[in-house]
Amino acid sequence: MKPAISVIFFTVASGAGLGLLIWLALLLLAGAPIDPRAFVRVLWVAACLVTAGLLSSTLHLANPKHAWQSFRRFGSSWLSREGVFAVLLYPATLFMVWQMPGTGLIRDLAATVVVLLAAAILLCTAMIYACLKTVPHWNNWQVRNGMPLFGLMSGGLLLLALWPLFLPDRSVRAIVVVLLLVGLALKYSYYLSYRRIGESAPTINEALKLGLEPGTGKINARVRLLDVGHAHGTFLTREFGYEVPRSRVLGLRLCALAFGFILPVALLLWLPQLIWLAAASCLGGLLVERWLFFAEARHVVRRYHGMPMT
Amino acid sequence: MKLGLAIDLDTCVGCHACAVACKEWNGASLMAGGAPDYDPQGAAPSGVWFNRIRHYEVVDDGTRGGCESATRTVNVPMSCMHCEDADCVKVCPTGASYKRASDGIVLVDPDRCIGCNYCSWACPYGARELDEVAGVMRKCTLCVDRIYDQNLPEAEREPACVLACPTHARHFGDFDDPNSRVSRLSAERGSVSLMDSLGYKPVNQYLPLRAAPRVDVAAAAAKPVRDRLRTWVNKLIPI
Repeated sequence: MKPAISVIFFTVASGAGLGLLIWLALLLLAGAPIDPRAFVRVLWVAACLVTAGLLSSTLHLANPKHAWQSFRRFGSSWLSREGVFAVLLYPATLFMVWQMPGTGLIRDLAATVVVLLAAAILLCTAMIYACLKTVPHWNNWQVRNGMPLFGLMSGGLLLLALWPLFLPDRSVRAIVVVLLLVGLALKYSYYLSYRRIGESAPTINEALKLGLEPGTGKINARVRLLDVGHAHGTFLTREFGYEVPRSRVLGLRLCALAFGFILPVALLLWLPQLIWLAAASCLGGLLVERWLFFAEARHVVRRYHGMPMT
Repeated sequence: MKLGLAIDLDTCVGCHACAVACKEWNGASLMAGGAPDYDPQGAAPSGVWFNRIRHYEVVDDGTRGGCESATRTVNVPMSCMHCEDADCVKVCPTGASYKRASDGIVLVDPDRCIGCNYCSWACPYGARELDEVAGVMRKCTLCVDRIYDQNLPEAEREPACVLACPTHARHFGDFDDPNSRVSRLSAERGSVSLMDSLGYKPVNQYLPLRAAPRVDVAAAAAKPVRDRLRTWVNKLIPI
């Protein structure tokens, strides 16, 4: 799939911002000792990240003047649901900030709503990709769970970097370390299964229903593309024909794993004073991870173009 | 009604006449909204096509006792399959992409489309292409502005691609009607749906290749003694 910079930035920035927002609301719910001014300052960063991401996501629209209509299909479209929840998140967050100086049920209720909405947006973003049966590299549990997890993880690192008060707090740090380790395992397993996922896609025989034994459906003849029918690129080849140079794949995957997960864990455990470096490394690693997420994903229409799925 | 196409892979000669006729009709159609070309006379021409024909080679690996003649070129025209369970319609956030309840045609409302490309991602057939000039998604309409047009003679109330096909490899009709030509052809020939494993229930049907005549190479080579003798005698005639 074509790696569009606007969508890569959107998913990483909004993911981190929403993760940070969830952390802040959870701190309120947990009754942590909170300086309201510091809270609002960090919340401001989260809001900027989410807003910048959402605005960036509209850059890839060819016709943004109709964007206001994208709340109509809440019942069937994850993209529509994401939009609806994103719009609801702003008043909910403002209400939470307004209620923050107080204590009690209403404040906790507001924080709970913010946690649920932010988590819902993270899940919607993941499902936008994971629901597509046409892209087997997205249609799996790693993608479904990965995006929310990475958002929470990078948000936690941002919290520790922006608000060092919680750095000595072993519980917050321990949770972030666990999230990073789970994220590392998930992404590593994804890269290991990448080839198998591609091979599980419908073959060119199944795509064209040619060279299959009648009845059993077993492949009994080799099918290959002779002529794709167009002289130069089409919308389809531009959108789905992207190829990462094979020699770069391993290096980029290692970069994503090392900077996105391994270095932040090491810094958190042994050099917590470099928390800023850990957060920046994680976001940088996630940008590489997200670029690969798009660039390596293979759409089944490639079968009709005689292109590989792995 | 369940309108769609039945395409005969056995008779299609891959001439692209259907694609050209589609482009001719829909390029200026108000219903489809146009199918623009980019740099048509330039070095790298491109553009929007609702129908594309690709050419494949099928090589029998011999497990069916085939021989050289089992290698075939197959031309596969592909356009919107007007799926019964169309994911392109479900994923659209604005409802711009919709399936008509009355006849099952999948259409795009350009006044609602935001050009997010999401529907094209959901389509396994590459049936949707973004019009980069207008910024909206384009696709096959089954020539909805021809098939109901009472001003056209009845024989011409068919999609442009079907009328243009010189080998009559394309058939248009209602798959809900068991007596329609497309239903009868599909039943007779054991039609198939492309990539139906994804579960979108494509309406368009493909009529498979008929079995190629088997040539028994060994039997053909073994001529009777009388024939061989006659050939030898013929060679002796000095003319």
